[in-house]
Amino acid sequence: MANLALSSIEKSFGTVKVIKGVDLEIPHGEFVVFVGPSGCGKSTLLRLVAGLENPTGGDIIIDGEDVTDEEPYDRGIAMVFQSYALYPHMTVAENMGFALRLQKQSKKERRAAVERAAEILQITQLLDRKPAQLSGGQRQRVAIGRAIVRDPKVFLFDEPLSNLDAELRVQTRMEIARLHKKLGATMIYVTHDQTEAMTMADRIVVLRDGIVEQVGSPTDLYDDPDNMFVAGFIGSPKMNFVPCVATGDNQVAFGNVPIQLPALNSSLVKGAEYTIGIRPEHLQSDAGQAVSMNIEAVEQLGSTAFVHGDLVSEQSTCRLVVEMRDQRPNAGDNVQLHFDLKRLVLFNEAGQRVR
Amino acid sequence: MSRRSKSDSRALWIAAVPMFLLALSCLYPFYFALNNALKDNRGYILDRFGLVNDPTFANFITAWSRARFDEYFMNSFTVTVGAVLALLLISSLAGFALAVLRFPYRKLVFVVILASLMIPVQVVLVPFYQTILALDLLNTRTGLILSYTAFFLPFSVYLMTAFYSALPRELVEAARVDGARFIHVWWFIMLPMGRPALLTLAILNTLYCWNDVLISLLVLQDERTLMVGITALRGEYTTNVPLLSAAIVLAAAPIVILYVLFQRKIVAGIATGAVKG
Repeated sequence: MANLALSSIEKSFGTVKVIKGVDLEIPHGEFVVFVGPSGCGKSTLLRLVAGLENPTGGDIIIDGEDVTDEEPYDRGIAMVFQSYALYPHMTVAENMGFALRLQKQSKKERRAAVERAAEILQITQLLDRKPAQLSGGQRQRVAIGRAIVRDPKVFLFDEPLSNLDAELRVQTRMEIARLHKKLGATMIYVTHDQTEAMTMADRIVVLRDGIVEQVGSPTDLYDDPDNMFVAGFIGSPKMNFVPCVATGDNQVAFGNVPIQLPALNSSLVKGAEYTIGIRPEHLQSDAGQAVSMNIEAVEQLGSTAFVHGDLVSEQSTCRLVVEMRDQRPNAGDNVQLHFDLKRLVLFNEAGQRVR
Repeated sequence: MSRRSKSDSRALWIAAVPMFLLALSCLYPFYFALNNALKDNRGYILDRFGLVNDPTFANFITAWSRARFDEYFMNSFTVTVGAVLALLLISSLAGFALAVLRFPYRKLVFVVILASLMIPVQVVLVPFYQTILALDLLNTRTGLILSYTAFFLPFSVYLMTAFYSALPRELVEAARVDGARFIHVWWFIMLPMGRPALLTLAILNTLYCWNDVLISLLVLQDERTLMVGITALRGEYTTNVPLLSAAIVLAAAPIVILYVLFQRKIVAGIATGAVKG
């Protein structure tokens, strides 16, 4: 049975519909990441699960129980906010034990639960401090500790790493992933950072304009995107898109450059416009369709280099990014690119995948 | 660099002169009252502006015991404490409701409260007096406490609403997720966090209530508060200025002490209302 199920969830603010019918099932113990650009509705969806917003339509089921109309505290969830939201007048221990205090647990029970959580997060030495005396990373741990103490059915994280610096973000990311393994709890994590989503998630939910574009494991979304939006959003640098025209059942052409596609389940409409998608690291295979490109700029990262240039044909040009491992390319060089045909994906005019 | 600091110090001096005169104009009445309170009536008539030669505390003793200032002081103290406590409790709850809760016509309620700030007390004196009579609250301290609460509540609610609106909303949401009902959110989170604003309100409302003459004169006609007692010391044709001065010093002393102790917080609190409103 799913630990959390969303059924036809809708949410409007006045006349603006922000969530447009989301269906999702999350089994117990899964780490799910909601990802998407700003304004896609991912935080709103999380707040609907938390009970901080009321849905305009649909049902929210947690552990088989319909909690759509329940208050946040009756849903068995805990939430970690982007701004930490620690109570500034309370010590770390009081912050973490606040929920248990409201449940009228004894001081001894509270202290024991708080110390257990503090030990997991290695913040025992901070328990008597006030939030103002903590660094950003420490505050975030306390916020996570406050969630752990409640022993919730579902953990909710709303962009918890956004206020941390880059190094601390990577470190805390790994800690949250480790925590998930240790606690085995269901976690929903909201971020706009696709790297965070890729590194942490069991499953990623990609949202755009209040609609779920695709749900799948990180590698599924990376290798087998359902549409151009997902293909472009997941992966950094993003996937290259090359406009083309169908010239046969499974052949297309970019200008005068013919590109032979692998076998497709559906036939292409001759003369119709399509878009080829290929990731930067798949343009450097040994075999496959060869095209030449003049290098305009090079981003040298040491172990790898991202090369920017224009693919030129008779009628049109197309900007490409190519990953060149263990090479030292220079701007102005001319390189031969080989499309890895096994990794090439095709989208129709509506941006949907053609398989 | 040195030229710049020279012009800076000149500007400082230019600003200091009017500030000094302003301070003098504020401090002189204090000096005048204290200086004359220590003179006897003859000493005052002979030299009303000169420094006291032979200080006496007789005026203070007369004011406190014979002029019934001990009774007036207790009246003022009771109604001020009662009204300030009521004001803090109600304004904190109302400010929380207006800033955090979402209910129909919330903004309209806030506008009505703001609008009532614009109405001078004098305009509503007649209906106010009729209401006090109708509720049988004339000549009761409860009546005066309720009157002060009613008159000073709009500003208090406005200040608390502004203060609570400036707090991050996530704090309320975190508390809700933690299991807090709204009354718990107010008690455990908003009330302790609102302490700076509440302290400012406590001091400002103490000043208003303690210094009021008009409302007190209307509601408490048989008994008197301290400020009404002072006005009663003035005769129609003659006034014992040293006695009046001693009474003024006695009445002002608690407020001056309160102000000196909390002056930084008063300024901070007034700025809160002005900027975050």
